[in-house]
Amino acid sequence: MAYVATKGGEEAIQESERLYHQLKGDVTREAVDIIIETMPYLVDRVMGEASLYSEELAALAIAQSGGELYEAILLLRAYRSTQPRLAYAQPLKLEDTLIVRRISASFKDIPGGQILGPSLDYSHRLLNLAVLEDDYEPDFNEAKRAETPAARNYPMVADWLRQQGMLPTVTTEADMPIEGADIPDVTRDALAVPAPRAHRLQSLARADTGGVLALGYASMRGYGFVHPTVNELRLSYADVKVKHPVTGALFSPGRVRTSQAEVVTNDKTGYKIGFAATFGWNEVKLIAAATLDIEMSNVGGHEALSEDFVLYHTEPLESSGFCIHFKLPHYVTFGSSTDNVRKVISTFYGDDAAGKESIIEATATPMDDLKEATTT
Amino acid sequence: MTLHNLVHQKSGYSYGFLDPFAKRELRRRMLKGIAIPGCQIPYASRELPIARGWGTGGLQVTLSLAGPNDIIKVIDQGADDSVNAANLRRFIKRMTGAATTTDTTQATLLQSRHRFPEERLHEGQALILQVPDPEPLRAVESDMAKSRILHADADYGQMWLVLYEQLVQFGRYMQGASYPVMVHDRYIMSPSPIPRWDTPMLHQSAHLTLLSAGREKRLYAVPPYTNVFPLEFSDMPFEVEDQRTWVSHSTGVRNKFMTEIPQDDGASSYELSDTSYLEKIVNQQHGHPNTIAPTYYDEDGQFYHAGYLKRRDDAESTPDQ
Repeated sequence: MAYVATKGGEEAIQESERLYHQLKGDVTREAVDIIIETMPYLVDRVMGEASLYSEELAALAIAQSGGELYEAILLLRAYRSTQPRLAYAQPLKLEDTLIVRRISASFKDIPGGQILGPSLDYSHRLLNLAVLEDDYEPDFNEAKRAETPAARNYPMVADWLRQQGMLPTVTTEADMPIEGADIPDVTRDALAVPAPRAHRLQSLARADTGGVLALGYASMRGYGFVHPTVNELRLSYADVKVKHPVTGALFSPGRVRTSQAEVVTNDKTGYKIGFAATFGWNEVKLIAAATLDIEMSNVGGHEALSEDFVLYHTEPLESSGFCIHFKLPHYVTFGSSTDNVRKVISTFYGDDAAGKESIIEATATPMDDLKEATTT
Repeated sequence: MTLHNLVHQKSGYSYGFLDPFAKRELRRRMLKGIAIPGCQIPYASRELPIARGWGTGGLQVTLSLAGPNDIIKVIDQGADDSVNAANLRRFIKRMTGAATTTDTTQATLLQSRHRFPEERLHEGQALILQVPDPEPLRAVESDMAKSRILHADADYGQMWLVLYEQLVQFGRYMQGASYPVMVHDRYIMSPSPIPRWDTPMLHQSAHLTLLSAGREKRLYAVPPYTNVFPLEFSDMPFEVEDQRTWVSHSTGVRNKFMTEIPQDDGASSYELSDTSYLEKIVNQQHGHPNTIAPTYYDEDGQFYHAGYLKRRDDAESTPDQ
């Protein structure tokens, strides 16, 4: 049936939704638990892009959307936007997070040591086909425990660079106390460029992993200025700390997975540092995002690496929503442009129907030249 | 009085979905937009349970204005029963408890994607247009920081240059829908992708028009009785779509905005784009009287503000080439 101008459009969309759910498995508590347990990196990616830290809700969104991730993020963002802001967490100091992985490409060894932690970086990417066999027995071979546990906290590599005078010093908390409520919030303010640094980092934290990677990769391949040296990449757990609304005492309502990346690059003016952080463990996104952080501050760089371009086009909800909106009927807009095109054809080529093919070909060139898009 | 009566009833979502802070912000932005006609006002567009680009800007305005006594009409490309219009209407009704209608004359709030109704809106009504791209200068300046400066300085030379180039190259203005307009002699505004047929309806209108882009986080307004003129050179007038020869397939009506429907034999059939108006005409022709408000264009295609549209003769529009 046609999807417009038919009576019963409302019934049609409800049946369409039912069919979508019918063609995938049921959403059950068990399905949600399996997703949390077996796909933490997927859950992390979704929590990061949704900017809502809840493994349970993220897994539910993944299950409910059938793994259509943009839909999952939309479900979570729409839920998030209805939740009241009860409190602001205390600022988190990176050196206070509980590190599980921490590597630096800048130096062979770093104060505190390189901690390889959990990673597939050096795995052989071979499908384990044995799993599919009927008599497969899972191999629960746990990682070896170190004789002495690793330290909980580590100094920042960038601080060493600062001590050496290779990076400018930064304002410390003692100089400028931070109140959560004073930090610009991109979910509550309109994004304008040039953006406050908070908006930039928040936008990157919730940006589309694929989108950030595409633009970051473009910079690395040579469209930008940056050769990113991964100064420090961290995967950690962080205890969120909140002031009790009545007693004022600090307490932790929970622990979150978080990751941070710092990349450095050098040009004529010295070293520059780029930073990105997000909920969950998502290394590829953060290396690309930290690269873009430097790139966006460059003046006169490639337009596709400017702040305006990067922040607006890596927004997962807006980019995916706008892309799929082209499925909506556009016949009024299209009809408005056919009126012009027909007039131009008849003005320049007459009403000669016999030569229509050549007319269309000939018209194609000036039409292509016309930058003025008939947009919708 | 019991404690149960005093506490806020537990519910999954706020009235009108948006939290009260979001609604307050939107209303303040709308007031600012009304005070500065045609000026784009940034707002913190909230995420809604509808995909971005599917009317979330219009929806936020509607949800922050709608009360239980409102009557809502939602149209998409002129059609009340288009699937997305049906979906938005269902959502607004679910979140506000407002009544819904397809009758243009009955509605208090009309949310529309890319069309005005054919019947003239009256005082007290608000038309909420969904906007994909609020920036009329995008084609000449894609950098938003720079286009804001151009608006501040009313530096619109490049827009006129684009029109001039179109005249030189094609002998006519080539902008289809979203034809740029000058509002209250100050701001160039994108009227959203309404066809040129609808553009004059913004001028000195009895109703309030609110335009909102959810993805781009900007809203703007045309208050009642405000001057709105399409950009045109004095010797080369702006023209609406030429549908003078088109006849509505099911009613025989002429001189209302129509949609072209390709036929199997290569020919075209034409139908009224405004489905509510179409239904009223069909009812009338079958002997069921309805209230049909005066339309923006009369039976001869004359716009109701006499002299506003200066139509060129076809002969004059041929360039000397």
